[in-house]
Amino acid sequence: MKALGRVLVTLLAAALALALLSLTCGCAKKTVALGRYSGRVRVSGSTTLLPLIQEASIEFMDANPRTKVDVQGGGSSTGITQLKSGIVNIANSSRELKGDETGWGLVDHRIAFDIIAIIVNPDVPVRNLTSNRVKAVFTGKVRNWKALGGPDEEIVVVVRDQASGTREMFDEKALGSTRDHPVESEPSAIECSSNGVVRETVANTRNSIGYLSYGFINRYVRALKVDDVPPDVGNSTTGRYPMARWLHMFTRGQPGGVAKGFIDFVLSDRFQNEVVSQEYIPVRDVLKK
Amino acid sequence: MSARGGGAAGVLRAKAAAFADREYWVRLVMFACAAISILAILVIFVFIFRESLPAIRDVGIGNLFFSTNYNPQTGHYGMLGFIWGTLLTTFGAMVLGAPLGIGTAIFLDQIAPERTARVVRRGIELLAGIPSVVIGWFGLILLVPFLARVTGTAGYGVFAAVLVLVVMALPTITTLSAETLKSLPPELKEASVAMGATRWQTIYKVLLPSAREGLLIAVILGMGRAIGETMAVQMVIGNSRGITFSLFGRTSTLTTRMVTEMAEASGVHRSALFAMALVLLLLAVLLILVIRFVSRERKPAA
Repeated sequence: MKALGRVLVTLLAAALALALLSLTCGCAKKTVALGRYSGRVRVSGSTTLLPLIQEASIEFMDANPRTKVDVQGGGSSTGITQLKSGIVNIANSSRELKGDETGWGLVDHRIAFDIIAIIVNPDVPVRNLTSNRVKAVFTGKVRNWKALGGPDEEIVVVVRDQASGTREMFDEKALGSTRDHPVESEPSAIECSSNGVVRETVANTRNSIGYLSYGFINRYVRALKVDDVPPDVGNSTTGRYPMARWLHMFTRGQPGGVAKGFIDFVLSDRFQNEVVSQEYIPVRDVLKK
Repeated sequence: MSARGGGAAGVLRAKAAAFADREYWVRLVMFACAAISILAILVIFVFIFRESLPAIRDVGIGNLFFSTNYNPQTGHYGMLGFIWGTLLTTFGAMVLGAPLGIGTAIFLDQIAPERTARVVRRGIELLAGIPSVVIGWFGLILLVPFLARVTGTAGYGVFAAVLVLVVMALPTITTLSAETLKSLPPELKEASVAMGATRWQTIYKVLLPSAREGLLIAVILGMGRAIGETMAVQMVIGNSRGITFSLFGRTSTLTTRMVTEMAEASGVHRSALFAMALVLLLLAVLLILVIRFVSRERKPAA
């Protein structure tokens, strides 16, 4: 009993010490800086951009403790609608404005560039695919490399997970999927939860083909040309390589206050180079070329 | 607390009081520990059920649990293919793992000399301690390419998952089976041998039938291990959304589907993933009920 009591007391003391320690840490952090901005900003829109903007909001609020950034998904269209009706201050969008969305005085802030490259295992001898063949391969209509000028081997298709914005864009631009007529990649395709996993899987699986964000290409996978155009920033900005898009933040009129502070933060060199570049191409790298 | 001036009886009484007092606190702490685990189970149950309600309401029970059409982009969340994947991999792992585990247990308990048995036992304990992600990685780097070469497929698929699960469930099955065999009264074996039965006849006709319930529980607990395994399976099963009836086909289990998509899922999609968790929870409850049923059956016989 005595020993047990002692153990309990020791545990209690340890817990207390830990609590005290964390308390002092918490205080120290809070007194660092109050930041330049204060106030609240509401953001909604593209689910593609959601993880990126959530990360930005956390870092921004850390640096500016008197601000509150609410970030929600809902899709690009929802975000733009909410922006027009004044529910949010910033709309994230993975597409350009279209139809009646223009003419509301919405201001475009390009925050990242996204190129999807089609990659194959280095053993695959194919170097180029027509866009029709890309569609046939990923929807499962062509299942053997022989039909594409390769060996008599089964094609192993590697795609992103169902919730991925990269997959959404690929389905749209490469497979011709629309809201009313969704086109899906074939059911036996291997699904990977990140660009990195796609790369590892394609690099290690014979006869495999997949797609990923341009920034992830390395020497263990080979990027294919589509309609004889290699994927790169130059070909993408001119529109010769079709699977690319700008990612946007829209505001109603020129932003001010916290909204401006938040957009500036997303466009800052540090955030662009350290966070945006993990999935997309930083804005400055596109404009340089 | 002071017993000064109270005499020997007073000292004793005070000590007893202090002891009783401490007893009370200790009992309270223990009760709190037990209460926390019960509370945790309740909270998990309520939370998972609540989170899966939107999917059940929006998608409908039939389309959610009894459809194989899984395609979140078009609003289809049929998870039957993944339930099937979970059952297929789990039962596959048991078909291979149960004979292997029980065989190892018989070897340990009846056949192996003490020194050999000790080495094997240590090896199995070590196997139980290897994190699943390491076993999965091992499967990804060695097993998948090997299967790819042998079968001419991509290597990913049900069979790779089954092999990985066998490795994961083996320690559970072996340890529990060996424990059961050890707990059999030695008279059983002695009587059998005295009647002129060979060692094999003794094992096959006497020991295994007497240990049946214990062995069954060992296998069911192994199943519990296999059913919930996530990381290792995700690395080798191929994570496809389609249903498969082939041993070398690619598919998903409930757990791998959840872990692949939970990071970015929102709305009904997220809720559908919770509905998968609900199914897993129900499967776990079912396993526990089976264990209760099996062990109750044993009692009248004993």
